[in-house]
Amino acid sequence: MSTIAPEPVAGARTGLAGLLVVPATLFVAIGLLGPIAILFRYSLNQFIPGQFMVDGLTIENYVKFFTDSYYLTVLARTVRVAVMCTIACLVMGFPLAYVLARTQSRFKNLLIIAVVLPLFVGNAVRAAGWMTAFGSKGALNASLMGMGLIDQPLEIMFTENAVLIGIVAVNLPFMVLTLQSVIEGIPRNVEEAAFSLGAGPAAMFRRVLWPLALPGILAGTILTFILAMNAYATPVLLGGPKFQMMGPLVYGQFAQQNNWPFGGAISFILMTATILLTVAAHLIVQRRYR
Amino acid sequence: MARLSIEHLRKTYGDLTVVNDVNIDIADGEFLVLLGPSGCGKTTTLRMVAGFIAPSAGSITIGERSVTTLPPWKRNCGLVFQSYALFPHMTVAENVAFGLEMRKIPPADRAPRVAEALRLVQLAGFDERYPRQLSGGQQQRVALARALAMEPDVLLLDEPLSNLDAKLRQEVRVEIRDLQRKLGLTTIMVTHDQEEALTMADRLVVMEKGEVRQIGTQRELYERPADRFVAGFIGRSAFLDGDIVAPGRFRTKGGVAIGCAAATRIGAATLALRPERIAVGGEADGLHNRFEARVEHASYLGAILEIDVSLSGPDAIDKDRMLLQIPNKAGIAEPKPGETITIGWAEDAGLVYPREG
Ligand SMILES: Nc1ncnc2c1ncn2[C@@H]1O[C@H](COP(=O)(O)OP(=O)(O)O)[C@@H](O)[C@H]1O
Ligand SMILES: [Mg+2]
Repeated sequence: MSTIAPEPVAGARTGLAGLLVVPATLFVAIGLLGPIAILFRYSLNQFIPGQFMVDGLTIENYVKFFTDSYYLTVLARTVRVAVMCTIACLVMGFPLAYVLARTQSRFKNLLIIAVVLPLFVGNAVRAAGWMTAFGSKGALNASLMGMGLIDQPLEIMFTENAVLIGIVAVNLPFMVLTLQSVIEGIPRNVEEAAFSLGAGPAAMFRRVLWPLALPGILAGTILTFILAMNAYATPVLLGGPKFQMMGPLVYGQFAQQNNWPFGGAISFILMTATILLTVAAHLIVQRRYR
Repeated sequence: MARLSIEHLRKTYGDLTVVNDVNIDIADGEFLVLLGPSGCGKTTTLRMVAGFIAPSAGSITIGERSVTTLPPWKRNCGLVFQSYALFPHMTVAENVAFGLEMRKIPPADRAPRVAEALRLVQLAGFDERYPRQLSGGQQQRVALARALAMEPDVLLLDEPLSNLDAKLRQEVRVEIRDLQRKLGLTTIMVTHDQEEALTMADRLVVMEKGEVRQIGTQRELYERPADRFVAGFIGRSAFLDGDIVAPGRFRTKGGVAIGCAAATRIGAATLALRPERIAVGGEADGLHNRFEARVEHASYLGAILEIDVSLSGPDAIDKDRMLLQIPNKAGIAEPKPGETITIGWAEDAGLVYPREG
């Protein structure tokens, strides 16, 4: 083991490193922080039908959201769906990521491409495909009814389950790829050492693999949770008009109701909820496993 | 501690036989070293004993217990890896306690055993450090303590010293050996380093191409190598290819006649001579085999001079080259290419092996 501290990146001394991060910083500032600031400002404005937006400083949009059970239900549903999708992605993604990370197969790269492949099909296209497959007159129901196995079409479309499955399918590759790269960095020897010391697979997982994969688990769950909280196309296309989630709600306020102040407020609530839940969950996890 | 018995052990990957019919018996408390060139199947053999690779055939018995089909966590084999394989998220004490934790030993009883194991490897007081805060040698000692703390039936070491620098290697080598003796641990160590093997082992197993070539003590391997490979691998030998033409008479390919007591079976053979049995210059006077050898090349290696000579004249088709190693006594000058030197050896000096190829 080398005891010499690694040389700092050459650029760090010359100030070059500072220069190199300027484009990304500018991009984030202009593309993200600017609109968010403007949105926040709008959310404090008044909405008067017919007059569009009236400058003001009021919290009435936030009050409206938190006093109307309809909006609270949408928020609760969004959080529930996002949490369930994230857990499902982790539970299904971990074994897959582990196999991908540890396989000696010549076809490893092909397997990784197979995991990413679903992302080549956009959300909307995929959801449309499912509508044709799982709709009440879709391929699945048609064949099951044709074979006489069922006499009522199975209700798959426009249910919460359809949305859950849809979001999991979109988010799973992100979880798998994040976990896979972290697991690949854990030497196989360390697992073997645990086995030789008397740890069965469950104990090895709990005491060695999970804690060492924790950075990847955190990154993967943050990524999939944020994606699920903000899902748009999947809930709209697979959930149907009655299944509201926060993403479509925001869009509706802006594009259909033209209520920018309320839309801004909902956006802010969605963003804050996402950040708070992410931070809270990971504080709990880290306290338990560090 | 227990004895260990490996019988007819085999491992094949498809058509490739990596370990072939290995039989080894290791006595209780014995330090056995598996020695062989890289890729000869040492690690595969060790990992079959540890339970990480399922044998294609054969059986492994530890004590009275057949472990051939047991998973690694039920074998009670302490394992030390070349790369240490410490748990980076645990302190030194937690690393060492891991095996005890897995055996459901209550925390209060673990502490003294952890302390004892760390004391054995001279790391008392390092309990709260993390592996990344230790030097390579210290990490290797923690790995050793971790394996010892669970009181394994056998200790398995796979090239445990090869990531350490030369000086540290010497130290840890002695430490491992002393500990092994003191605790009476049945141990298998894998190495490709001949010096390491010779200094540490009670007995050695020389492997090549997946097969055991010879099992024996250092003296047995050096003085009675079972085949040409062992004769060249354990210590140095000078080799001459030729034929046994009559009992006691060896003729090199270049036509030089050599008297050799060991030559009994007539046929193609290789004569192997240990360098210290070959006399040079005046010391060769009166020996049965005495030749004027032509120097082809000479190298100065400090303690010894290595001289490549040919026995037959410059016109011979096969020049009968052999490599001499002469102790560098009183700083004798190395001979120039083209010069001739007198060499000789006794009739009983050489060993003969059937010639390969
Ligand atoms: N999983 C495997 N598949 C195919 N060949 C393997 C596999 N593992 C090891 N080998 C081959 O087996 C031989 C012995 O390997 P190993 O036991 O690691 O050798 P050593 O430890 O003596 O250097 C090597 O030639 C290696 O290429
Ligand atoms: Mg090896």
